[in-house]
Amino acid sequence: MMAAIEIQGLEKSYPSTFGTRRIPVLRGINLTVEPGQIYGFLGPNGAGKTTTIKCMLGLLRPDRGNIRLLGRDSNSLESRRHLGFLPENPYFYEYLTIRELLGFTGRLFGMSPAERKRRVEEVLRQVGLWGREETKLGKCSKGMIQRAGLAQALVQDPEVLILDEPFSGLDPVGRKELRDLVLSLKHSGRTIFFSSHILQDMELMVDRVAIIINGRLVREGHLDELISRSVRHYELVVEGVDEKAAARAGLSGERRDNRTIIRVETLEEVNSKIRAVQSVSGRIAAMIPVKLTLEDIFMREVGK
Amino acid sequence: MQAKTIALFMALILTAGALQFHYDTQVEYFAERQAFVTLPDGKTLKVLSFGYRNLVADFLFIWAIQFYSATHITNRFDYIENIFDVITDLNPRFKAPYLVGSWIMGLEGGRYRMAIRLLEKGARNNPEEWIFEYDAGFYAYRDLKDLELAEKLFKQAAERPNAPPLIRRKWAHMVYMQDNLDYAFRLWKEIERSADDQLSRDSAFHHLYQIDFERDKQLLKRAIGEFRRRFGRNPAELAELRVRGILKEIPRDYQGRDYRYDPESGTIKARRNYKWKSSY
Amino acid sequence: MKILAIARNTFREAVRNKVFYLLLFFGVFFAFSSRFVSMLSVGDQQKVLMDVGLASIHFFSVLVAIFTGINLVYKEIEKKTIYNILSKPITRLEFVLGKFTGLALTLLVALASMALLFFLFLFVTTGSFAPRCLIFFGLLYIELLIITSLSLVFSSFSTPILSSIFTVTLYLVGQVLWTFQEFKTRLHEPFSRYVATALYYLLPNLDKFNVKNEVVMEMELSGGRLLAAAAYGVVYVAALLTLAVVIFRRRELN
Repeated sequence: MMAAIEIQGLEKSYPSTFGTRRIPVLRGINLTVEPGQIYGFLGPNGAGKTTTIKCMLGLLRPDRGNIRLLGRDSNSLESRRHLGFLPENPYFYEYLTIRELLGFTGRLFGMSPAERKRRVEEVLRQVGLWGREETKLGKCSKGMIQRAGLAQALVQDPEVLILDEPFSGLDPVGRKELRDLVLSLKHSGRTIFFSSHILQDMELMVDRVAIIINGRLVREGHLDELISRSVRHYELVVEGVDEKAAARAGLSGERRDNRTIIRVETLEEVNSKIRAVQSVSGRIAAMIPVKLTLEDIFMREVGK
Repeated sequence: MQAKTIALFMALILTAGALQFHYDTQVEYFAERQAFVTLPDGKTLKVLSFGYRNLVADFLFIWAIQFYSATHITNRFDYIENIFDVITDLNPRFKAPYLVGSWIMGLEGGRYRMAIRLLEKGARNNPEEWIFEYDAGFYAYRDLKDLELAEKLFKQAAERPNAPPLIRRKWAHMVYMQDNLDYAFRLWKEIERSADDQLSRDSAFHHLYQIDFERDKQLLKRAIGEFRRRFGRNPAELAELRVRGILKEIPRDYQGRDYRYDPESGTIKARRNYKWKSSY
Repeated sequence: MKILAIARNTFREAVRNKVFYLLLFFGVFFAFSSRFVSMLSVGDQQKVLMDVGLASIHFFSVLVAIFTGINLVYKEIEKKTIYNILSKPITRLEFVLGKFTGLALTLLVALASMALLFFLFLFVTTGSFAPRCLIFFGLLYIELLIITSLSLVFSSFSTPILSSIFTVTLYLVGQVLWTFQEFKTRLHEPFSRYVATALYYLLPNLDKFNVKNEVVMEMELSGGRLLAAAAYGVVYVAALLTLAVVIFRRRELN
């Protein structure tokens, strides 16, 4: 089966401020997105996520490497016919209404008036803007703009959807709705490629994830393979035990004010530590499960 | 694709150039340009130039130079006084327009009185400059042959600070040319006294010698005439004028030597002859 | 057609902009104020009326051309709305042509409404209709198209402030380009003469379209001259648009 997105050896650099040298941004990206997948593109800010996406859309010319979208070279116009794109922090013409924006987008795809009318209504319902389509974009809230942006990406019913930081600036309700929408699109057979710098955005929905740091893919695969979703360790915060008593009870840890913070690796150990605390009449002030974060991975990769 | 587009651009811009060429051959483009029929006066333009007075003055000046050297526009002098008036109103300390404007008015347009008016305005607005009145004096002397006016202008120029001694000589010469010999003599005497180089001193000496001679010649001419009226002949020698009581004393030249007298014709000659003078 | 979709959108953006109406208002206002200026004149009031009216329309329509041209194209890039267009199956050529068509349409509407009000005003105040002014408006429209194409070229690679400066400068140079021919005869160095000649033929000669005087003074205007001017304008616009496409294709949208 033909891949939805196939990136091979993608390299891109920008000229420095005075154009005297080129600063590499992408240093050889390879990735393949199979049709029907939700693919997460994870990386800290400035890692090269948006640059990769712009290369896919023909907004930037790669220095080296090639990109194929549904089997077509990304430089060809055809490759963009079945592509929907939501830019990061989308901004649309303030003077247009949501409906006019979608109509305009439909025209750019050369859709017939009847088809346009039908699709505009469909996507308005899909993103939950039905009934608010006559609002001027200049008067929309950030959440509404994000939905409008999503709607325009969906107008021509694209096979592949590319979303750049779609979760940024959304409230929890908005995040949930977007997640549901993406999942429903996946169920209707669409491919969704989205970028984020927040690990939690990826959870519960992506099939595969690629982690990009400093213009290189450092990991690629199922999210579970990459990041253990289980807790890495626990931190116990103990009160009411002086330092000597704590040491005697085997409760060594970091002292902060009159608290001791103890690092504990497993749940069993947690229980035994709690008993030890009680034996010296101490009190558990808090128990914090510490999870692996993107930052941990990032720090680990940088440390290599 | 890009190469083809660039080629298309080249072709189009060349075609545009060719059309421009064609257009210019069709239309008498420059002959159409007329003088400013209505140029607002300087005060109005000061307001209209919105604080860019000097710039507007520069532009107008540059434009005027181009315009007035377009010799095929025959009526170009119709508004010249107004135009230079406006330029110099906008920037009264901008010196070139006075000078260039007066050249154009005078040398090109033959309007010398106008040129002198412009230069006098320049002198009024730039009291430390002698060049305006000096130029004006030249136009008055050489082109208008108005010696009185020339004298006035050279005098004013000479009295400006830092005026070169040359101007004082011109002034004195104007006075001399108007037969005001005593005044001219005083002026040259003054020049001789203040001269600090040999050339000036020589020049002053020559002029003084000549003026002195002219005065003496007039005196002697009158005396000889009187002698002739009384005795019906010319005196045999100049001393006879004293002997007969017509003159108390026989004048001598500036260096104290006797003049040469020809009893036959009754004429006087100086020992020295500064040729440039005797054309008079 | 995709070009028309972009054109339509551009037009819509322009006419929904308040500044557009402000400029139109001033154009009309100054054209009307010619009535008062003409009162100050002694004799030939119609000439003064037409002079001031046409000059106001000229000035403000040029402002509209520069302002909308630069503003609309730059805003598209600055606000990144261009991503929404170019990430669709749209070529850069289609984008440039669409923008230009939209701007041309905007200018047509702006000029036509100013001209219409001018004719109405002239008819009401003097009872006469000066059809010769149509020649001026026609050529002015071509001039406006050149200005807007210039602004397209500049904003395809530069910031709006620089683009405005470039466009205004070229507009002013274009108005006095005819002096280059005279200027040239005064240059003695061959190299500067070549430069002057090259500039004369390369830069837009906007004075060709300025027939205000001829129209008002009822001076002769040959058909050949008008045709040559129009042909020049059209070819020049085509050249500028091609250049804009060339630059725009090279442009990366960071």
